[in-house]
Amino acid sequence: MVIMSRSTSKFDTKKVNSELVTLTYGALVAQMVKDLENTDDVSKQLERLGYNMGIRLIEDFLAKTNTGRCFDLKDTADKIQTAFKMYLGVQPNVSNWSAAGDEFSFILDSNPLTDLVELPDDLKSLKYCNLICGAIRGALEMVQLDVQSWIVQDQLKGDQNTEIRVKFIRRLEDAMPAGEE
Amino acid sequence: MAVCVAIIGKDNSPKFFACLNPDEELSFQYKVLSSLDVVEEKLSAGNKAGSDLRELYLGMLYSLETHKIYGYVTNTKIKFIIIVDSTNMVLRDNEIRSMFRKIHSEYADIVSNPFYTPGEQICSKPFLNNIRNIMTGTV
Amino acid sequence: MSDDALFDFLHSEIVNYVLERNQSQNKDAKDEDLSNIEYIGFSTGYRMIERLTKEMPRFKDELETMKFICTDFWSAIYKKQIDNLRTNHQGVYVLQDNAFKFLTRLSSGKQYLEVAPRYVSFTCGIIRGSLANLNINCLVTAEVQNMPSCKFHIQVQRT
Repeated sequence: MVIMSRSTSKFDTKKVNSELVTLTYGALVAQMVKDLENTDDVSKQLERLGYNMGIRLIEDFLAKTNTGRCFDLKDTADKIQTAFKMYLGVQPNVSNWSAAGDEFSFILDSNPLTDLVELPDDLKSLKYCNLICGAIRGALEMVQLDVQSWIVQDQLKGDQNTEIRVKFIRRLEDAMPAGEE
Repeated sequence: MAVCVAIIGKDNSPKFFACLNPDEELSFQYKVLSSLDVVEEKLSAGNKAGSDLRELYLGMLYSLETHKIYGYVTNTKIKFIIIVDSTNMVLRDNEIRSMFRKIHSEYADIVSNPFYTPGEQICSKPFLNNIRNIMTGTV
Repeated sequence: MSDDALFDFLHSEIVNYVLERNQSQNKDAKDEDLSNIEYIGFSTGYRMIERLTKEMPRFKDELETMKFICTDFWSAIYKKQIDNLRTNHQGVYVLQDNAFKFLTRLSSGKQYLEVAPRYVSFTCGIIRGSLANLNINCLVTAEVQNMPSCKFHIQVQRT
């Protein structure tokens, strides 16, 4: 048996964790691009994957933050903002509310999922961070909110910020069973 | 400022090359390639001498009348070479070392791009810009 | 990122994605093809180690590299060290993790042993990728006998 002396990691755990997620996600996207002919299919698949993660993340989020019911959509937006901070380590601004108050955006100055990514020319239409849109949709569905979410601006496409739009569709009456679409 | 930066892969073939004056490119390429023997020598000597050469920065590989050539080898056996004008007195060992660290950091970022296959030529424009900034000391 | 829930969930989605993809490609269900999970791990490990070894002195030899994988590297990713490292000093290393993260969530019943390979494949890839970039080419396999304990066998390929 070999004696191993060190008892604690020499690395900044938070940073390593974040990089691990970024790199693992990147490797997955690259694999999907290899698997699927069509870039749109990759984007859809990423959204679906995010949805599946979202329905699990919300349980984790509610348990860790001891959060109660949301009063309204503004409250919901604030809580998702907290979730961004918790899971991605970035705090987006909530803005661009629609007049009816049923649509808003998260604006991210930086996005750990894409900060080290450069899209090749043949993948310019790829919605690389569609995972986030899916996660928002999945998480909110678990608290009876049916929403749509999509990317409006994308730093990977040369935009200044990344803007993720969320649109409230309706309140779901019955609790949906957890599962895939 | 550095006049040339080269990144050499595990297989000893150049993956990236940048120099301030395009006219000198060919002569620098030659200098870089001949410096690789010195790198190999230093690394194998390091094995015998134990922990002497555990630092990634190898120091000056050799100096010519006109230029000084410095080397750095990552744990993953990627070699970085910096060429400096012999007349340059501003860049001391510490500055060169920190330049290498910055290049290493840029290189690790490039490798983290999921659409870059390690071992391929590095053609990223932002990367070239960042390296140029490091060479001219603007970062 | 505050904790590793995201990594956990991402990992399960990778497993699900690859298995679903296999099914849709009509691959033989009896012999599960986990190679894509392993490859995603390989790519992650290869890139990760480039970042992690940036500030580190050069490794002295193969054994020192393996110790690094067992200690700093493992704790960075799995929040604990490898519990036991054995080697025959001829290129075979056995890393034992008594509570391997991706297995602790599965029940320890016998019926789950069957699916255990799905949850260790990514990590085999991470190890193989990291070592490959550190210029140690090897085969990595995992052996699960008692959940959630896992033994990773590393066989260095010398050519």
